[in-house]
Amino acid sequence: MNERPALLQMQGITKRYPGVVALEEVDLEVRRGEVHFLLGENGAGKSTLMKILAGAVQRDAGTIIIDGCISELRSPREANDAGVSIIYQEFNLVPHLTVAENIFLGREPAARLPGLIDRARMEQEAQQRLTELGVVIRPDAVVDDLGVAEQQMVEVAKALSIDAKILIMDEPTSALTNQEITRLFHVIRTLRDRGVAIIYISHRMEELHRIGDRVTVMRDGRHIATRELTSTHLNELITLMVGRALTEHFPKVAVPAGEELLRVEGLKRTGVLHGISLTLHRGEVVGLAGLMGSGRTELARAIFGADPVDGGRIWVRGKEAKLDSPRAAIALGLGFLTEDRKRQGLVLGLDVTANTCLANLDRFSAAGIVSPGQEMAVAKKLTADLRVKTPDLHQLVVNLSGGNQQKVVLAKWLCREAEILIFDEPTRGIDVGSKVEIYQLINRLAAEGKAVLMISSEMPEILGMSDRILVMHRGSIAGEFSAAEATQEKILHCAVGAKAA
Amino acid sequence: MKTSFLPLLVTVLAAGLLAGCGRQAKDAPDGSGRPVVALVVKTLNNPFFIEMQQGAEAAASAAGVQLIVQAAEREVDVERQMQIIENLIQRKVDALVVAPSGSREIVPVIVKANRAGIPVLVVDTRADAAALQAAGGQTAAFIGSDNYEGGKVAGEFLVEKMGGRARIAVLEGIPGHETGDARLRGFRDAIKDSPGMVIIASQPANWERDQGYNVFQNIMQAHPTVDAMFAASDLMALGALEAIAAAGRTGRITIVGFDALPEARAAVQRGAMAATVAQDPASMGRIGIEWAARILKGEIPPDEISVPIQLVK
Amino acid sequence: MKIPNRLARNARQFGTFAVFVVLCAVISILTPHFLSVSNLLNVAQQTVINAIIAVGLTYVIISAGIDLSVGSILAFSGVVMGQALGAGLPLPLAIAAGVAVGTGCGAVNGLLIAYGRLPPFIATLGMMSVARGAALLVTDGRPVSGFSESFRWLATGEVMGVPVPVLIMILVYVAAHFVLRRTKFGRYTFAIGGNEEAALLSGVPVRLYKLGIYAVCGGLAGLASVILTARLNSAQPIAGLSYELDAIAATVIGGTSLMGGRGSVVGTLLGALIMGVLRNGLNLLGVSSFIQQVVIGAVIIAAVLLDTFLKNSKR
Repeated sequence: MNERPALLQMQGITKRYPGVVALEEVDLEVRRGEVHFLLGENGAGKSTLMKILAGAVQRDAGTIIIDGCISELRSPREANDAGVSIIYQEFNLVPHLTVAENIFLGREPAARLPGLIDRARMEQEAQQRLTELGVVIRPDAVVDDLGVAEQQMVEVAKALSIDAKILIMDEPTSALTNQEITRLFHVIRTLRDRGVAIIYISHRMEELHRIGDRVTVMRDGRHIATRELTSTHLNELITLMVGRALTEHFPKVAVPAGEELLRVEGLKRTGVLHGISLTLHRGEVVGLAGLMGSGRTELARAIFGADPVDGGRIWVRGKEAKLDSPRAAIALGLGFLTEDRKRQGLVLGLDVTANTCLANLDRFSAAGIVSPGQEMAVAKKLTADLRVKTPDLHQLVVNLSGGNQQKVVLAKWLCREAEILIFDEPTRGIDVGSKVEIYQLINRLAAEGKAVLMISSEMPEILGMSDRILVMHRGSIAGEFSAAEATQEKILHCAVGAKAA
Repeated sequence: MKTSFLPLLVTVLAAGLLAGCGRQAKDAPDGSGRPVVALVVKTLNNPFFIEMQQGAEAAASAAGVQLIVQAAEREVDVERQMQIIENLIQRKVDALVVAPSGSREIVPVIVKANRAGIPVLVVDTRADAAALQAAGGQTAAFIGSDNYEGGKVAGEFLVEKMGGRARIAVLEGIPGHETGDARLRGFRDAIKDSPGMVIIASQPANWERDQGYNVFQNIMQAHPTVDAMFAASDLMALGALEAIAAAGRTGRITIVGFDALPEARAAVQRGAMAATVAQDPASMGRIGIEWAARILKGEIPPDEISVPIQLVK
Repeated sequence: MKIPNRLARNARQFGTFAVFVVLCAVISILTPHFLSVSNLLNVAQQTVINAIIAVGLTYVIISAGIDLSVGSILAFSGVVMGQALGAGLPLPLAIAAGVAVGTGCGAVNGLLIAYGRLPPFIATLGMMSVARGAALLVTDGRPVSGFSESFRWLATGEVMGVPVPVLIMILVYVAAHFVLRRTKFGRYTFAIGGNEEAALLSGVPVRLYKLGIYAVCGGLAGLASVILTARLNSAQPIAGLSYELDAIAATVIGGTSLMGGRGSVVGTLLGALIMGVLRNGLNLLGVSSFIQQVVIGAVIIAAVLLDTFLKNSKR
């Protein structure tokens, strides 16, 4: 690949937080018209580095040169003016405004009378940007009514409308279907060919070679290496990221299935679930595959008593049970690791110990009084067991990295000694090292005679970890496969609603 | 580090603000050796008490005392008035002149002042005699107008003005307030011998102007025939006046107020109100301070000093 | 490693404490009357009512709620107790009745919020009016006054030189701190305020605990009314007007986040003391009551500014 001129140079970037060095003398060089991957485990410093580039966080030391000019980037506005635009994983859109209003938010074209907005021109220009991207979205549509992929396109159009030279995308594909990803990549290539530099953060290793030109690996707040992707093997990158070689991606250990722990028959929720039946046995890991919106999370919530149901019966350990609240489900030994750990799994403002013990506080308290000694002892054991990286047990979980937060949620259910575990996207947004640890843990749980229902959108994970695979399509179970007979093609076939092979 | 710097900054700011207040207050009390007299009124957002404050200020320099004037933010906040007086006792003022927010609620703190050897003069609203006696408290004097008498004067005037026939609405103060109760008793006693004088509505508007407006508006809805009104204070009367104007009935309802606030006097002059009872708060403030100074020189005041009532019409 | 970490976590409380100390220092320089045992006890007594109400609000606000009705509940509890005393009920029973009325009103708030799914702002706004009206109704708008010496001892008595109300306040704070830090009730309060969904999915009986939190808040307002009534020797149906705002201010100055999930009882005590010391100091200095309001407002804003700065610099 020929040498293109550097568009962005970040040199010696350092950022300290009280007690922590987040970035230590990091260099990053990005060329005009390339897709530059930024790899690293959670907590490696990628997000901080990108926030500095976007003007959202101020660096303590270092220089940033954009297009030959030294840039201070003291605020997001300055960054915008310098041609930097960022699309966060959680979009920055105002849901009740229209597409055009969002694209031009803060920069509305003025009408003749000061203070009024030239609506027609705004919508016309928005339309133009969207057309350039090759997407069909009405500029007067309300953002809230759009799908995730469409909202993302609005974000891209917004970036284009400020003539961004550098576009940062943080996990842009995490919520997209394969079809949508293909379309997104097409748009990214269009932008690249127009000379835009794209900095791309993702945990999905398979995307590297599909779309990337170069990659920079970070670890522990430092720059480790920058490579051309054409000449670099995936395993080498993983080794660089983790700092150690990973022998096995999916360390599946098969355990013979035991007695039935959970039986669900005809579970119904109008418009969402249409008569779901399934069983879980001791020692079994059952994968639950399906497209976004197929009802997997809804099924998990219904079993767990978090959402009301309109029909169906549930047996736990052979006895019929009425799971009408999470409390009732937990009492019978269910545990639910939610998809969104920040919104549903953790109390971010509480410390590691309190979160670990939250679901089983009765065990550590007598007459309503909590024993900190007992609590700490169990939290200490579990965090050591799960290798949670935390300075101490009183660290607030908000300060932990994503992988470590997920481990704390796991610790919560281990503390509760739950036997029937529902894991909803257990490795989403987690670095490779932590992923493997979570897989190993799932193995261990199965070996101990527990049952795991694992919802996942990552096909290799489903195929690699499950004893049995269920595929959902529009609120129904569309197919069931044993680990031996399942293939990616068969599962996809079911998931999109074609007849099972 | 940044984090430890900020609290400091805020502290310094707060301290600066305080020090500023301290300096501003410095030239009033402390230091000169002249005795310090504190006037504690109900609130300083009622013109009645501002007049009282002005009367007191005018008297203070002549009497050779330093004056501190304090009040709660709300007229009904008896606990806050109590706190203010407690703090002034701590500050060791030489004498207290108090307009009680609550006749009974003032008693415990009068007892406290007694124990600290600080004489207490009560102005405007009496301290409840029975409660005071039960608690063993003492006041040096009461300086004020006879509210009963004032109510009576108002009632007699209305009887004469209406020729003995009227459908009357009454706006009361806060229920249980000695001041308001006495005014109403006086008013009712004055009209009770005229069978044509009928009270068709009597509602509390809690001494407040906006409540006077609302309550009277409601009364006009319920009793469209109302043709006269007595308000236990001018603020309520002035509120009602606005309600009458808004209903386009100015001049058709005869209004008698109480307190003779400047605004009410003006209303009387232009004919919007028929009369208001003048209590002369400035004199109360003046006499209160004068007697405080004389007590400190060893003189003994009479138990009651009456400030004469006039009808402004 | 351990101690600096703990220091950093409690930075906000140390900040509040520093403000308190500097405030006291400045006032004692400006006036000689401030730093005497009798005045400090005086300040403590004046802080009691606000401080006790603010404990309840601290719980409510940590649970990401708000309670605007405490001032009215205080009035209602007070007059019910006053009437019970007047009717010749034995002292402990009458006091229990007052606290029970407060707890009951709080429980109704809790029911409306937890089971009726009303926003706390609306439910307690309604209760603010209902309880005030009820207080006026049962008394016909007149204060209930004239109580026995044994009842008044609750306000005027001393135990080993410490005024009884101050003693009650200390007991309430010790208990409230213990409950918040060391019991399930306290832990769940934080969990509900920090992330209600996560608490629910962890099996916390969220609605039951919410009910409990508002009931406790109402009960503490009832307790405050006992002391206030003894102090004034009168139970007024119009007592406690805008006391909810004072209590919210004390809580916020003390570093409890209005977003919920974060806060401390110790901070609230400091917040209430800061307000008490400010009012006392400004009275001692003879500052006009108008300026006093400006200063107190400025302190509230400064406290929340401090909070925002601390939060941002952590990120």
